[in-house]
Amino acid sequence: MKKRKMYIRMITASLLRRRTRMIIALLAITIGAMILSGLVTIYIDVPRQMGAQFRNYGANMIFTSAEGDISPEDVRTAVSVIPSEKLVGLAPYRYETVRINDRPVMAAATDMEGAKAASPFWAVDGEWPEEGGQIMIGKNVAATYNLKPGKKMTCSYLPEQEDVMDNYMDFTVTGILDTGGKEEDYVYMSFEDMEELTGESTAYDICELSVSAAADELETISQTINSSAPSLTARLIKRVTQSETTVLSKLQALVLLVTVVVLALTMICVGTTMTAVVAERRKEIGLRKALGAGNASIVGEFMGEGMILGAAGGLLGSVFGFIFAQSVSMNVFNSSIILMPWLVPVTIAASILVTGLACLIPIKSATKVDPALVLKGE
Amino acid sequence: MFIRMIGKAFFRQWKKMTMIALTIALGASLATAMLSVMIDVEDKINQELKVYGANIKVVPKDTSVIDELYDVGDENISGAYLKEDELGKIKTIFWAFNIVDYAPFINTDAKLSDGTKVDVTGTWFNHHMDLPTGEELDAGIASLRSWWDITEGEWLDEQGNEDPYRAMAGAGIAEREGISAGDIISVEGAGGSVMLTVVGIFDAGGEEDDIIYVPVDVAQEIGGLEGRIDSIEVSALTTPDNDLARKAAQDPSSLSVAQYETWYCTAYVSSICYQIEEVITDSVASAVRQVADSEGQILKKTKLLMILITILSMIGAALGICNLVTASVMERSQEIGLMKAIGAHNGAITGLILAEIMCTAVAGGVTGFFAGLGFAQIIGHSVFASSITMRPMVIPLVAVLVVLVTLIGSIPAIRLLLGLKPTEVLHGK
Repeated sequence: MKKRKMYIRMITASLLRRRTRMIIALLAITIGAMILSGLVTIYIDVPRQMGAQFRNYGANMIFTSAEGDISPEDVRTAVSVIPSEKLVGLAPYRYETVRINDRPVMAAATDMEGAKAASPFWAVDGEWPEEGGQIMIGKNVAATYNLKPGKKMTCSYLPEQEDVMDNYMDFTVTGILDTGGKEEDYVYMSFEDMEELTGESTAYDICELSVSAAADELETISQTINSSAPSLTARLIKRVTQSETTVLSKLQALVLLVTVVVLALTMICVGTTMTAVVAERRKEIGLRKALGAGNASIVGEFMGEGMILGAAGGLLGSVFGFIFAQSVSMNVFNSSIILMPWLVPVTIAASILVTGLACLIPIKSATKVDPALVLKGE
Repeated sequence: MFIRMIGKAFFRQWKKMTMIALTIALGASLATAMLSVMIDVEDKINQELKVYGANIKVVPKDTSVIDELYDVGDENISGAYLKEDELGKIKTIFWAFNIVDYAPFINTDAKLSDGTKVDVTGTWFNHHMDLPTGEELDAGIASLRSWWDITEGEWLDEQGNEDPYRAMAGAGIAEREGISAGDIISVEGAGGSVMLTVVGIFDAGGEEDDIIYVPVDVAQEIGGLEGRIDSIEVSALTTPDNDLARKAAQDPSSLSVAQYETWYCTAYVSSICYQIEEVITDSVASAVRQVADSEGQILKKTKLLMILITILSMIGAALGICNLVTASVMERSQEIGLMKAIGAHNGAITGLILAEIMCTAVAGGVTGFFAGLGFAQIIGHSVFASSITMRPMVIPLVAVLVVLVTLIGSIPAIRLLLGLKPTEVLHGK
């Protein structure tokens, strides 16, 4: 009991007396630990955060149906398979041919909020439609009919039964859509307007989904949907999913490699600092040996000191590391990082290990000193 | 005497000096590697993003107004086409170097031997071009459609095999018509009938699954459309858009002369489109927003991420070096006490220590710089399978960093030492 008390007292006293020195060593360890925990956090979180960026490419899954129509209920059942935090956007579409100035134009009914989320790359000159009677038109349509946001236009729909009259409806153009794709040839309206125009209840033709998940996870999701909702077929948009996997894996490999390189270098830095700290205490070691201390007790004391430093540095480092990772995430992705509590003990353990290893070599050589020579000052 | 003292210091304390040099070398190599990677990462990720396919689409002026949608009926009559012989000009624009890939497309309706209607598209697969600049380029859909899954057979190789009458069929049509790789199919169009060997079946996961792809010449022969093409897809390395680019995209003539020059000489997607329109007669080039916008976003984020990681690792390396330099200077209190006792001035002592440390720093820095170049290449090859371009601007950056860090590390320690009383130090207190 007494022995342990003495041991603890020696270690703490030695740390306190040599305050400046120890603060320097602590600083080195803290920085090392901070880089470790910060970069590992970023490494683990990058696929999630970057994955969200890749959702800019738009939908990566579509629902189609063999029968032609998809009912909203089916979509709801199918979507319930996808974890809600992974579903970035869901845009159902229904396509009908309508006439503008008696010329056929493809009209799409959609949920505007859903379309905005599922296709973030759509550039709208003007505003998105917000209420009934408003319409968004593709760039090519606008050029053909010389329409600008704010102008009024009339759409007509010719029902299939020959004896029914054409149905006319007035719209206000709110925005012009520029995508560089074939969306530029369509006009977009709400489901309510489409229902009024066509006089038919709305079912969906196709559903676009933007799901934030890796390719194999998407594969599992689409299989689950296909087996649980047989009325519709979930298909992956290969071009988007496969390319995302390719790019994302490269990016993660880059961060990993950088983490490893930075980590190796900081560990060496911590090592050299600890070596310097121990090496300058040869005199003290000599004195203790002269007083009759065994090698084991000297090693024990130094290791104890080193480990306390390591633990303190590890703890501080994981706090700063999290702050660092958080600020990177806020700056780059505008979203906060996920706190990983298991990283704290791992960081502390790693920094104790590194400090211990770094102390071991100089202590070993220090125990070999001849007390007489050291104390004499040679 | 000064030089001799420094020389002796190195000779006697070579262990300590090696350690400092080593730490500085490590820090410098880290800085070099991270800076090189950071500067190059935009280009590298840009290259990687090319798997998303073309970001610019070129169509004839008229079709961009009355597009495909109107279903004019007999496509062969609708007038607007691009000229095939102008294709090479795309590689002569101001930003030719940024055009990494492109392929022309020509669509034509045709019938199989049993009378089924099929869409036949002529394109380049891996078309080889010898450019006027002496460059060589393999362009075509083999790289522009990298997400295609070849379910049967192989990619059509334009270079290895001279026989042009070959085709690749989409999985959808292949399944419906019972076509498999190796089959010979007869395709008849407005211009005549040809026999094609199907070399591969692909699964594109989209509309392209219902199309038969053939070399450009063959499609022109089937449709009787010699020398004409419908559209060109271009994959170009671009700079993310800013306000100027958006303004220019609306109307280039609204810019002032200086703005116009900046815009024209920057690889914005809109300026590349503009330059393509200049060389291809009666064409409209537009950005495929899905690809162009997303690329810009991802590039920006990746670059910012790398910059922040670089700053962190630099701070880490800098503090590590500072620490060690401080520690090593502090250790020499006795020596400095002695020097002071025999009459050395503060200035002389500071000069001596700084000169020593700087010599070590330069040696370490140079070693570290070259090691860092190696690191950068390792990162480049293992992640992107291509080497990282070395930028000369890394050299001054690293040099300034090493000198600054060493100075910051040693100055507080030297000041502390100068405050010491020689008698106390020499007495061993």
